Amino acid sequence: MTDVDHVPAGEPHDVRDGEHDDPRVGGFELGEVPSARSIRRFTAQAARARAGASIGSLLTEVYTAAVSVALSVAIVLGIVQQLGDSLPQAPAVQQPGGLSLPVLVAVLLLAATGALLSTSGRLGPVGAEGAQAAWWLPLPVDRRGLLRPAAARLPAVAALAGGTVVVVLEAGLLGRGGGDLVRVGLLGAGAGAVVVLAAAVAQTWGASRRRTALAGEVVVAAAPLLAALVVLTGRSPATLPSPSWLVVAGTAALAAVLAVVVDRRLGTLPAGTLREGGSVATQAVGAVVSLDSRELGRALSGGAAASSRRWTSRLRTARGPVTALVTADLVVLRRSPRHVVQLVVAAGLPVLATVVPQLASVVGVLVAVLLGGWMASSASAEGARWAEMAPAVDRLLPLDDRTVRRLRMVVPAAVMLVWSLVALGAVGRWVGATPDWLVLAVASTPVWAAGAVRAAYRPAPRWDKPLVATPAGALPTGVLQVIARGPDLVAFCLLPLWVAIGLGTVTTVMVSAQVVLSVIAVTIASSTAEKGWMERVLEEQDQRKGAGA
Amino acid sequence: MAQVVRARDLLVGYGAAPVCAPVSFTLGEGRAVALVGANGSGKSTVLKAVLGLLAPIAGGVEVLGRPVDERQTWFRREVSSVLDDDAYFPALTVAEHLYLTARGHGVLGAKDEVADLLEEFGLADHARATPVSLSSGQRRRLLLASGFARPRSLLVLDEPEQRLDQRMRASLADRLRAEREAGGAVLIATHDPDLVAAVCTQAVHVADDVSRVLPAGEAADLIARVAL
Repeated sequence: MTDVDHVPAGEPHDVRDGEHDDPRVGGFELGEVPSARSIRRFTAQAARARAGASIGSLLTEVYTAAVSVALSVAIVLGIVQQLGDSLPQAPAVQQPGGLSLPVLVAVLLLAATGALLSTSGRLGPVGAEGAQAAWWLPLPVDRRGLLRPAAARLPAVAALAGGTVVVVLEAGLLGRGGGDLVRVGLLGAGAGAVVVLAAAVAQTWGASRRRTALAGEVVVAAAPLLAALVVLTGRSPATLPSPSWLVVAGTAALAAVLAVVVDRRLGTLPAGTLREGGSVATQAVGAVVSLDSRELGRALSGGAAASSRRWTSRLRTARGPVTALVTADLVVLRRSPRHVVQLVVAAGLPVLATVVPQLASVVGVLVAVLLGGWMASSASAEGARWAEMAPAVDRLLPLDDRTVRRLRMVVPAAVMLVWSLVALGAVGRWVGATPDWLVLAVASTPVWAAGAVRAAYRPAPRWDKPLVATPAGALPTGVLQVIARGPDLVAFCLLPLWVAIGLGTVTTVMVSAQVVLSVIAVTIASSTAEKGWMERVLEEQDQRKGAGA
Repeated sequence: MAQVVRARDLLVGYGAAPVCAPVSFTLGEGRAVALVGANGSGKSTVLKAVLGLLAPIAGGVEVLGRPVDERQTWFRREVSSVLDDDAYFPALTVAEHLYLTARGHGVLGAKDEVADLLEEFGLADHARATPVSLSSGQRRRLLLASGFARPRSLLVLDEPEQRLDQRMRASLADRLRAEREAGGAVLIATHDPDLVAAVCTQAVHVADDVSRVLPAGEAADLIARVAL
């Protein structure tokens, strides 16, 4: 039990500037102000004391975490090995208009670097969550000491993620191993930390979160453009140099220098910035913990949105409720640079898969179309996601629910039509029958839009449903059911497309089947029922049983 | 009478968009100024600028003769504020939150001070409760108590009357009057004409077109008349 007597009693730490007398009101007898460390320690001790954590439960937690990490490592290693075994050898002579796998990996790492910079900017990267902002920041203690753990957290996570991503890509796609792999892994970890620390340095110099996020998005957008440039110029090196220990040490040294700079400048961070960053981080962590990707997107988008606009859209295309709704969706998408960049990257994925000899296989192209399509359609439904959160404006329009839902598919459909023509045009070029694939692209477009809108309007994850035990741990069925809304349409209603890619040909039957499935997908996505068909049937059965009894 | 706050043509807003007309006022020792105006008129935004939580678009504000900078230790030592935060450490009790504030400012004998504040704000029975178990009004009282648990030259409160019953509002008015009489400066944003009449020596009507300084009595009438 923590008692007030256990609060820090003030360690020698003089923060008075000596220029002012003691504040006038309160009549308090004043001593030394405690150190930031003792303030942090007190809060942490109270949390530990009230968490009710026994040694037994602590050991159980450690055991569970260790098993989870071991399982994750085993799964990742398995994927890496599988990838390495399944990829064909690189051709002896690079085809004109092709891209070598090492260059593709470099492009992917560049995009990942941009995404990390963008995310760091959106999260702060240094912030103080609600209670810390309200109760710690007004204290006249050394702010640097209060923020030190928060400032170290994100670079550490970025280093871990950077190292893992680089190892998976280098070992899985390029077959790198041994000392080479250790060096690139360490380089990836160092680079991850450097990116976040650079964002933190920018934050201490007053760069807005929006500006840092935009810089990251520019880097992400540069990745596919760079790949296109390499393809067009035909200068795609077959191998990339392995980093020396000197480069690894240099990156580590740079990270250390940046860490010192950030640490020294933590005290210059204004409370307003810290509050905003902490608020976004709290919302984002909550979304991750509850497996709510839609909420995560909102946290990251809202965190770096402009507080005002230089110009006001006159919404000239809005000439009634129908066009007003579509125009609003278009404006929302246009004003979100993150999603526009996401669309560019998503269009590049299938194109790249068809020009990299080792990936230009049925599986490679299938995965690229699926990933790229889902990325693009998710980006295109930004308006629908915001409308789901704040439906008040929709309710003001003289339109029924189902019509609103259908109209929300217009912008995603327009965007996905362009994406499908680019992506399946590339596939058609690869297999050699472009016009047929373009027809299939048009026929399959509505499914992507329907899937994105169905996902945007899915209910919140349900944690009250039973858990299913699996070798990888307990799976919450209620959450999975909700998360599957949207992707389920893409998986089933695009079957003709998947079959066409698998067979490498498009037939009239496939196009006809795709048209029928597209109509079905749009019908399902237009439904405003929150519960699935099976769930409704079971509930009706239960009600009938109840009435009979 | 030394000046505690001096705002000159202070223009506040978000980005480059102002939320109200520029504000100018001074607040001296032993004085209380109320910011009054309609909902969304910019009162809280002005307070944020005075507290250094938001950079002004134009104009300036000084506290104790220096430009506002909440990153400076002296500023945090001199200025006590209670905004509309509703965030608490889930593991700390009500008393511990106040004790953290008091000890964090170097108050000796904080236990007695905290006990008095708990009594005064009607939280004595909840001293060992965590904030999640409190009602909305009790959490508000905890926040207000934290503003008095530490030494200060300037007390800034954003709509302190919110979620308080009549008895607690009257008690708060007494507390703020005592603050003023002890030489402290008080700056509040409020919609409560009684609080303005009982505590404030002057008011600033914050509005879109023009912001102007009014005598406190006139401001209280204005609030009551046009239901600001």
